[in-house]
Amino acid sequence: MEEVQKKKFTGGIHPKDNKELSSGSAIQNAPLFEKYHVILCQHIGAPPKLVVKTGDTVKKGQMIAEPGGFVSAPVHSPTSGTIGKIFDVPGPSGVNQEAVEIIADGQDEWGSGLDPIPDWQNTAPEVLKERIAKAGIVGMGGAAFPTHVKLSPPPAKKIDTLILNGAECEPYLTADHRLMLERPEAILEGASIMARVLGIKNVYIGIESNKPDAIAGLNAKSEPYKVNVVTLKVRYPQGGEKQLIYAVTGRKVPQGMLPMDAGCVVQNVGTAAAIYDAVTQGRPLVERVTTVTGEPVVNPGNWLVRIGTPIADVIRLAGGVSRTPGKVILGGPMMGFAQKSLEVPVMKNTSGILLLDQVDTVQFTSQPCIRCGKCIDNCPMDLLCGTISCFIENEKFDKAEELHVMDCLECGACAYDCPAHRPLVQHVRRAKAEIRARKAKQNPK
Amino acid sequence: MGTALIALVLLAVTGAALGVIIGLAGKFFAVKTDPRIEQVTEMLPGANCGGCGRAGCADFAKALCAGEAAPAACPASSPEAVEQIAAFLGISAGGGEKKVAVVLCGGDKTHAGQAAHYNGVSDCVSASLIGGGAKGCTFGCLGLASCVRACPFNAIELVNGLAIVHNEICTGCGNCVDKCPRKLIKLVPKTSEVHVYCSSPEKGPTKKKVCSAACIGCRKCAKNAEEGQVEMQGFLARVNYNNPPSAGLVEATGCPTGCLRTPEEHYRQETATQEVA
Amino acid sequence: MHDYLQVTVGAVLVYNFVLSRFLGICPFLGVSKRIDTALGMSGAVIFVMTLASMATAAVFHLVLSKPVEIAGLGTIKLEFLQILLFILIIAALVQLVEIMLQKFSPPLYNALGIYLPLITTNCAVLGVATINAQATYSVWLSTINGFFSGVGFAVALVLFASLRERLEMAKVPKPFEGMAIALITAGILAMAFMGFSGLC
Repeated sequence: MEEVQKKKFTGGIHPKDNKELSSGSAIQNAPLFEKYHVILCQHIGAPPKLVVKTGDTVKKGQMIAEPGGFVSAPVHSPTSGTIGKIFDVPGPSGVNQEAVEIIADGQDEWGSGLDPIPDWQNTAPEVLKERIAKAGIVGMGGAAFPTHVKLSPPPAKKIDTLILNGAECEPYLTADHRLMLERPEAILEGASIMARVLGIKNVYIGIESNKPDAIAGLNAKSEPYKVNVVTLKVRYPQGGEKQLIYAVTGRKVPQGMLPMDAGCVVQNVGTAAAIYDAVTQGRPLVERVTTVTGEPVVNPGNWLVRIGTPIADVIRLAGGVSRTPGKVILGGPMMGFAQKSLEVPVMKNTSGILLLDQVDTVQFTSQPCIRCGKCIDNCPMDLLCGTISCFIENEKFDKAEELHVMDCLECGACAYDCPAHRPLVQHVRRAKAEIRARKAKQNPK
Repeated sequence: MGTALIALVLLAVTGAALGVIIGLAGKFFAVKTDPRIEQVTEMLPGANCGGCGRAGCADFAKALCAGEAAPAACPASSPEAVEQIAAFLGISAGGGEKKVAVVLCGGDKTHAGQAAHYNGVSDCVSASLIGGGAKGCTFGCLGLASCVRACPFNAIELVNGLAIVHNEICTGCGNCVDKCPRKLIKLVPKTSEVHVYCSSPEKGPTKKKVCSAACIGCRKCAKNAEEGQVEMQGFLARVNYNNPPSAGLVEATGCPTGCLRTPEEHYRQETATQEVA
Repeated sequence: MHDYLQVTVGAVLVYNFVLSRFLGICPFLGVSKRIDTALGMSGAVIFVMTLASMATAAVFHLVLSKPVEIAGLGTIKLEFLQILLFILIIAALVQLVEIMLQKFSPPLYNALGIYLPLITTNCAVLGVATINAQATYSVWLSTINGFFSGVGFAVALVLFASLRERLEMAKVPKPFEGMAIALITAGILAMAFMGFSGLC
């Protein structure tokens, strides 16, 4: 059943999306590489504990690190082979992180120890949730929050709606788009599994109207799964959790609260497909669809790559580069992180590897705010971005907090249009770090 | 003449009457306050640095007069001033040795390279939030002066992309310690004469790749020092500040990268490299 | 009624103490660095101006404006003692208020803090008393004039403090840093208040 969005959030921008670079190319399977570097902590929460040692042989899908708490997720081997060294590799955040080297034996033999549950409709929700936790599934849209935690709302919160995020509002990225085109059943069935875990009936999938083929494809298949496909206006950041909930249900998440306070759970479409694989196939999360794109890339496209593949190898898959890029970004151009090393391996939340031309990465110098108010018009959270950034620049973090700087979702719509080239998001990140540090100092737990 | 007399009389009478009223009111509505608080506040440095753990100098003075704190808890006062306050209040000055801050990194622009080009907000916390900072060494001083701005006494100077504390100005208030996202700043006894200017726990060769002034963990200083004066923490030599070695250790060791230095030598060397650069 | 309106609007906007009469410049520049201290000072000024207007107007009407018959000297008026007497009264009044506040309302005393003794010798307070006397306002009208003159002072001070808080975040050229740019700002603010002239 097709629906049109109920509400539209204020602010937002329309950047050139450049999705045509890779949206036409089908998902290709990446070949087996010799070595993989799997970073242990791939999620928000407690770091997992290593359960293998150098020299061990592992099968594809075998757990190599067990969760270090409830808000944590296990990590699995992306292929069969032996464990090499355990060492630090550059992580996507720029800080070195502990990783396990896996030397492939070429057999690529499955051995996850998880049995498929084909009859999930008659399986207890608790069992399904345990499976999702054991398969190491985390939010694949970017935040990498363990999915089973999101599916375990406290009993006090009444959840009645599940929203799948297929907006993919970041320019350049097409991984979710291709996934929706090529595996609609997996996404829809994954959504139904999540709905069963949550014990709810309302399932929506929000897709921006610039992907009519995906909307039509999902619509054609959605009837038996009772999933409503909602067409969303093209506007960045339509895929922000709070913006998506507002567009689909018309509900506003109260300030400083979580989606569950509005009775909603939001999951990425990629996460739904991963849940389908984990439950019906017994496959833990060891590979994901990643877009490799950007003007300097020879053959931009979408690849199903194993987690732990160094991004240099993935870029080589796409034919390498035709000219020297100015920046390599993990994620999209708006919220992604620029990298200083190509050793960084693909993570569970790597939705894209974007190479930008040098002309597109011209460095600007920050100028004083001219109070034009463009950032305020653009802000999807209705914040006074410019004023906040002036306060932060002068280290008046308490004033910034009074102006709700903590509500910023760091979408970058403000800095996108700033005629003074102010690094507004960076200012906000600093303020958030400082305010959190101060709070931690005030009430040490 | 008569007019002047009238004016005089009138003003005198009014003044006297008002004076009596105020005098009576002052006596009648008297509120007991400790006059010492104000005097002690004046004896304190007035920098309101918060190093004593109170909300400011006036608040600290109140605590002093109430006997809730010892004068030596003020890190910014000179020992003489502390003695003076203690004598004024007739209490003991309280123990504790003088501390100073030290930035344990020697990776200036000449010795430590950059891994990326950083063009963002000129602040260490901001830089560390973006890819962990642009410096090649992920443990070294970012050189964006967050600690310099945090210092209420202007005791920290940025020399050749490296923050250096001036021992003679530093009061040990500790405002800079939390500001450093890389946790390079330590409060050490003012009497300590030698520091290992490196904080990277990585292996020697790894460090050497990104910084030519790093501690490569050769243990020379640990061998030359007396037992327990220099400890090895993995691949990093650390001065034991409970039992600090004397300045003679620098010469005895002959540190191959020169990261074992006295603070004076450290400042002299860095100023020299800045001039070259 | 017309009188009251005229006095009110005149005191707050047209003949604003700081920006038109240029009285009370000292606290205007001294305590305008932060809005909260500016608010504290404004409260103290409003309080003292109102009380001082009332007291001085009473004294003026009861004593100073009356001709006094003195044997051998004829009739004289004591108006020439105005300033001296007013200073005495204001200073005593503020002292008295301070003592009472400290006893009965320590929170308010702490809030007004140093500002109360500061304004004892403020020209704005003496100014409002003198203006009341010159215009021969009644005691009631003087009180109203005193109160709204204080409000006018508060408006100017808070406006200026807000501007200075913003100025602190702006990049000011080196020679203009600090008091220089503050004085320029005050000048521009005063020019803006010129727009009110002729309103009443």
